[in-house]
Amino acid sequence: MGYTGYLEKIADYKFRISEKYKSGMLTDGIIYADDKLIHSIKQDNALEQVANVAFLPGIVGSSLAMPDIHWGYGFPIGGVAATDPEESGVISPGGVGFDINCGVRLVKTDLSVKDVKDKLSKLLDRLYNDIPSGLGSKGDINISLKEEVKLLKKGAEWAVSRGMGVQQDLEFCEDGGAMQEAQPESVSQRALERGRFQVGTLGSGNHFLEVQVIQEIFEEDIAEKLGLEKGKVTLMIHSGSRGLGYQVCEDYSRLMVKSLPHTGIQIPDKQLACAFLNSKQAQDYIAAMGCAANYAWVNRQVLMHLMRRSFEKVFSSSWQSLGLELIYDIAHNIAKFEKHSVLGKEKTLCVHRKGATRALGPDNPLLPQEYKSTGQPVIIPGDMGTSSYLLVGRQEARETFSSACHGAGRIMSRKRAKAQGNLSELMREFDSRGIEVRAKGKKTLLEEAPWVYKDIDSVVDVVEKAGLSKKVCKMVPLGVVKG
Amino acid sequence: MDTFEFIEHTADIGIRVKAKTLEELFSFSAKSLFFIVIGDVSSKCHVTREIELEAGTIEDLLVVWLNELLSLFYTYGFFPSNPVIYIKQNPVKSLRAKIKGFRLNPYSMRLKQEVKAATYHNLKITKNSKGYVGEIIFDV
Repeated sequence: MGYTGYLEKIADYKFRISEKYKSGMLTDGIIYADDKLIHSIKQDNALEQVANVAFLPGIVGSSLAMPDIHWGYGFPIGGVAATDPEESGVISPGGVGFDINCGVRLVKTDLSVKDVKDKLSKLLDRLYNDIPSGLGSKGDINISLKEEVKLLKKGAEWAVSRGMGVQQDLEFCEDGGAMQEAQPESVSQRALERGRFQVGTLGSGNHFLEVQVIQEIFEEDIAEKLGLEKGKVTLMIHSGSRGLGYQVCEDYSRLMVKSLPHTGIQIPDKQLACAFLNSKQAQDYIAAMGCAANYAWVNRQVLMHLMRRSFEKVFSSSWQSLGLELIYDIAHNIAKFEKHSVLGKEKTLCVHRKGATRALGPDNPLLPQEYKSTGQPVIIPGDMGTSSYLLVGRQEARETFSSACHGAGRIMSRKRAKAQGNLSELMREFDSRGIEVRAKGKKTLLEEAPWVYKDIDSVVDVVEKAGLSKKVCKMVPLGVVKG
Repeated sequence: MDTFEFIEHTADIGIRVKAKTLEELFSFSAKSLFFIVIGDVSSKCHVTREIELEAGTIEDLLVVWLNELLSLFYTYGFFPSNPVIYIKQNPVKSLRAKIKGFRLNPYSMRLKQEVKAATYHNLKITKNSKGYVGEIIFDV
């Protein structure tokens, strides 16, 4: 294991795998990293996967990898690829992943550390009790299949129209919390059944809720425009489309793998199975993926609503008076049609982001009015116990089709994490940093311990120095709730 | 559980399964998967399901089989305890299975590991003098 193939450094924070590396590559692979990160990235098969993605028909620009890249299945985690519908471009469910629209939302508060410190234990207990989490968790929201179909079409608005949030929340979600391409007829009965009982559930693995404090501000003006101050408390939610998304990906991967021999498409890994964007199979997948994306936006909206209610109970005050307002909600496992400039010409491309975040620069028409001057908030959760970042997109990030990283990126397998980790040591480390943790499974804590991830500070520094996004502030955890 | 061993993968879980026959490989792979998800569970089998699946290759058929079982578990709470499997390789790769199992509500019990799906990535089935070896990576 480990990459020993062709790789050259072409700029301070950029490495290249030439398209000559493998016969069948249609373009180069470009990896954003510094010397230290690239050493760690070479330890697994992620770079081989960057090369494999370059086989996708109709790929535009390069097969891209963010500095948090690590070994996934099909695409690397941290991979970005854009395809052109007018050049026989394809869409690949493996380029989106099973957890369609896994994403993050960041909520600001008017509370400072001293307001929260004495109530932190009570608050975390409340959050832990009120928000369903853990493996295969079931939500408190029971809906009929008919209602689920409405939810899949409407996205986050479905939750807001039922009192779980306000209209303003929708403005601060990527795509307003709903992909217009969603067509519930394209979602299998099995996927509908699988998703019915999981609305408003956190899940397990690397999904979490975090109570954080802003430790450092890098861009005062932007932070002020976003209403963020050093010492103020923020909240972060990381979750996705749960079983419904997994089933949609499985249904369409199965179909595309079966059809692959009849399409003439040559790919080195079947998990990259894909369909031409103008085919019915691709159109059906896009319609179903849109539904799963909408489910995920509903899920995070409901989770935020439950979080707001928990705060209301603990602080005996309304969430509005506590200032629990959504900063932004981003998707980091998704494929979307976006307009980008290619060789001076504006084109609509299908941009796959598998463990990567859209990062639109200032003045982009897709941004809400409030963020037109700042650029899109780019939320980068770190590992449990260290730090997370808020960045904003930059217009210069054209080469990545306005994309940045999505997290720290794993460096150690779950098996090794459990074998080498020591739970008591981990809990002592949390204690020493003043972090309180509530978790359904202790095993999950070891699997997600800080030492199994790359150094988030280095990853974010590369993103900034490579010109992909600009750092606004750094948040550190006070309390973590994990499934 | 002696039907499998773990293989290294940075983000997900990989397993290697050894068996004397293809049918046994499919059966052991299923047992291994559910051991990872739930651990050791047993109960009187009172539900029987029959399924038929097809795929382009025998490796693809293994993924389709495992994902079908995962889907039945998460959707209908069906735990596959004792599958009897028939595999046909000609003219297409197909599988017919009669599975004895029991109801197990995934929402009312503590699972060990959420497995989202079996993937096609680095999927292998090889034949040697002792039988078959399968390697599967699960997205977790």
